[in-house]
Amino acid sequence: MAGRHRHAVRAGLALALALVQPATAGAEGRHVTVTGEAIDTWCYFSGVMGGPDAVVGSAHHTCALWCAAGGIPVGLLADDGTVYMVLKLPGADDAAGGRGFLAVASHRLTASGMLHERDGIRYIIISEVIEDHGITRRNHEDFGVVPPFAIPEAGGE
Amino acid sequence: MRVAALVMALLAGPAAADGFPAPVGGAFALVDQHGRARSERDPQGRMQLVFFGYASCQQICSVALPAMAEAAALAAEAGVALVPVLITVDPDRDSPAALAAALEPLHPDFLGLTGTEAALASARAAFGVAREVLFSDVTGPIYAHGSFLYLLDPDGRVLSILPPILAPARIVAIAQARAPGG
Repeated sequence: MAGRHRHAVRAGLALALALVQPATAGAEGRHVTVTGEAIDTWCYFSGVMGGPDAVVGSAHHTCALWCAAGGIPVGLLADDGTVYMVLKLPGADDAAGGRGFLAVASHRLTASGMLHERDGIRYIIISEVIEDHGITRRNHEDFGVVPPFAIPEAGGE
Repeated sequence: MRVAALVMALLAGPAAADGFPAPVGGAFALVDQHGRARSERDPQGRMQLVFFGYASCQQICSVALPAMAEAAALAAEAGVALVPVLITVDPDRDSPAALAAALEPLHPDFLGLTGTEAALASARAAFGVAREVLFSDVTGPIYAHGSFLYLLDPDGRVLSILPPILAPARIVAIAQARAPGG
């Protein structure tokens, strides 16, 4: 998340979050395979940078890198709209952040791992990325760079 | 190796009934901004909302820390004792005085924990939190760090892992549901 985002981000805190459902027990995990896009969960759920179609894919790739670099949790947005919060990627030494997420930001992945549900939030601990399809949603042709200031101007502040 | 251990533990079956269903969290031995020793247990028997970050962070911490403070205030109104806790990832700059100056205006009970580099690294490892220097500017190093919030019971057991995008009211609702006797 770039420093310029923070005021907008604060404003977004009050927004309702679509991923939160009523609490469920969910004490047991199960193995799943999911295909979807590795998204920047902050911008996707807060809506502060644009609508859901604009804060994914190539249009939002630079901002997604900023957010992933800053430790913002990465989610896997499945084709049915379900978002899985990624707790860990294979090969990562640490959960909840790290450079591994930078390599897959905005990429469409087919991944398998253990799914857990807790308090209405779905978490996935990815044990294998079966296929990295790369960035397949080329929506920069529709939206440009979202947000535009994700790419600083040369000589700017 | 921690990845393999985590996956194996999950394959082996559920964790304790009320705890988060993965082996996240653990013991730590740190010091708060008042110089008091602090472990994962809250001596006052409160639930805890733990975040790893640093006081001068202008990125996610500037969102998460006020949200934690607001959640603590809302929880108190709801009759749930919830103490917000920051574990610094930047002990060089987060002196006790710096932690107090940054956190206490947000909430009078906000705790800032620091310690030796080894003790802090142990705490991060227990919670699986990454930390690395992205770059440095005139203020010093800018860190990337994990940004989940960890809801702990009074004994320090992780009850839930909360994305920092949750609204304070939702954090409180989860804390209420997870509170002892809740």
